[in-house]
Amino acid sequence: MATGTDQAAGMGLVGFSILLFTYYTIWVIILPFVDNDHLIHKYFLPREYSVILPGVAALVLLLFIGTFIGVVTWKSHSPQKVD
Amino acid sequence: MTKLLEWVFCVLLLGVAWALVTFDLLDLRLPPIYKELAWPMPVYLLVLFGCYSIATIGYRVATFNDCEEAAKELQTQIAEAKADLRKKGLKL
Repeated sequence: MATGTDQAAGMGLVGFSILLFTYYTIWVIILPFVDNDHLIHKYFLPREYSVILPGVAALVLLLFIGTFIGVVTWKSHSPQKVD
Repeated sequence: MTKLLEWVFCVLLLGVAWALVTFDLLDLRLPPIYKELAWPMPVYLLVLFGCYSIATIGYRVATFNDCEEAAKELQTQIAEAKADLRKKGLKL
């Protein structure tokens, strides 16, 4: 079995994904069947955000990946040019 | 038919079904709950796939088979090999 921090990090990822799955499933699939005056609606944003927020998150992720690739490519070229 | 064509065909079929329900292209006059559930479906399936990926990676990191004695043994062998090569004249 993996040790210490590896196990903690792995189980942390699993827990995070379960939380995300539960919250998102309730938001997208269960809430439309719940009456509009039920208290649970207090904990969820309007349903449009259930599409907008993942879209924004995907764009931010692509931005990070692109920036990372750009920085790494630039660093691998510039030592050659300095000489 | 190639695998790629099969997948593309399936995705197209599901896409057409989704578009029919979301944009009411055939004027089927389904109960509004169908439209409410259908339109976030592509994003929902993507988030579902993302959650499954994160869970699988996390679980496999947590249950990875570390071999601690083998690792220590390997390190001592590396040290021995380096000492031996230095003695024989190789500059490390």
